[in-house]
Amino acid sequence: MTQMELLDLIAQHTREIVPGLDAHQFVASDRLADLGANSIDRAEIAMLVQESVGLSVPRVELFGPRNIGELAGLFLQKLNAA
Amino acid sequence: MPRNPVVTGMGVISAIGQGKAAFAKALLAGETAFGVMQRRGRQRESAYLGAEIREIGFSQEITRQTLRAASLSAQAALFVLLEAWVEARLYDVDPRRIGLIVGGSNIQQRELTQVHEAYRDSPAFLRPTYALSFMDSDLCGFCTAQFGIRGLAYTVGGASASGQLAIVQAAQAVLTNQVDVCIAVGALMDLSHWECRGLRALGAMGSDRYANEPALACRPFDRDHDGFIFGESCGAVVVESLESSQCRGLEPYAALRGWGIAMDGNRNPDPSLEGETQAIQNALDASGWTSARIDYVNPHGTGSIVGDETELKALQACGLAGVFLNATKSLIGHGLSAAGTVEVIATLLQMRAGRLHPTRNLENPIDPALNWVKEKSIEHQIDNALTLSMGFGGINTALCWQRHH
Repeated sequence: MTQMELLDLIAQHTREIVPGLDAHQFVASDRLADLGANSIDRAEIAMLVQESVGLSVPRVELFGPRNIGELAGLFLQKLNAA
Repeated sequence: MPRNPVVTGMGVISAIGQGKAAFAKALLAGETAFGVMQRRGRQRESAYLGAEIREIGFSQEITRQTLRAASLSAQAALFVLLEAWVEARLYDVDPRRIGLIVGGSNIQQRELTQVHEAYRDSPAFLRPTYALSFMDSDLCGFCTAQFGIRGLAYTVGGASASGQLAIVQAAQAVLTNQVDVCIAVGALMDLSHWECRGLRALGAMGSDRYANEPALACRPFDRDHDGFIFGESCGAVVVESLESSQCRGLEPYAALRGWGIAMDGNRNPDPSLEGETQAIQNALDASGWTSARIDYVNPHGTGSIVGDETELKALQACGLAGVFLNATKSLIGHGLSAAGTVEVIATLLQMRAGRLHPTRNLENPIDPALNWVKEKSIEHQIDNALTLSMGFGGINTALCWQRHH
């Protein structure tokens, strides 16, 4: 799995949870909070991505990434380490 | 201090109609929608009969994302609340003066069972929002967020009397001036196969003797009744003072003149003549009425053998033997937590229509001397109605309604 594919997965699950993003072009520098995802939405999105790729990351480690590019990078790193 | 709580808006959903207009039409036509239940998680080596709501027709005001996160019970609550909200013009009321009472407890069992089954072998991926959605009060969260309600919102539970209890609690919130307007929602009770099995095992839910003729299974007050048949439903009733309704130029449906609540002091699901009589008498006394004033009764009438008999004895004991009555559950099934609210809505819609809906499958009434509305609807102007709801745990509730002139 590539970082780009993970980014697409994050975008897909973000559209499921947050209204009004159907036409939004996601880029790596997008911040979920700026897109309208509250803390619960963000936890939900992160869990949906983890379920999609069969990965379990402790919640506390998810506070690090500052945008969805970094989040995809973290998931990629965990996937490669697994 | 406000007086005279009145109903200024209503919203309803059931298997026979979504929205008041469709619901009233179906009621008066005596329509039913019973069959083997199909909703995911309702059956397990079983074929329970019931009446399920078809796909809910939402307007665009409720977003896809909200609906995705909302349980069936929450979706039904949003649907009925929107209808009631628009009718009562609540967009024109200070949201800090609006309250919400959700009637029902442990209402989302099917959804919870689904989650447990889906994540049994992969608990690490359990959705974080399960922490919100497992609580009944999540419905308060969805509804207050959608409509911007800022006054108060909480749930009340009283088994199958929850729907009427919610109305009582809403009236109290208005009468004590906590809010100007309070909406009572009778929440959709979403049974899983576990609850169906328990209710069947207890003898409360009807047997499978009509498995091949589902339309005949739900028969309140008929000699061949043998338990209730479940029906999904949900209702919302807007309660406020007459003075408050006049500020927005609304024409109320009816006034809640008084209510009675009485307990049997008995945990078992054994109906009590004494408890039911007490609740009716309390309601009449609170209204300042004698039984002679009542010209329509909407009974609890589930189809339970002892429950039906006890209720008719209570009506007789209270001098109500000559009053018109029908059984709303014969058409929509038993909504459990929702029943009390939805049946009040059925009563007020009949009041406004000047007609009483038929009772299905009432071929041989257990007491033929009563004034039943049987297979055909009849013309009858309700002025003063009594609505009854009873619940496990020995709770009895009675409400007195006066048509608004």
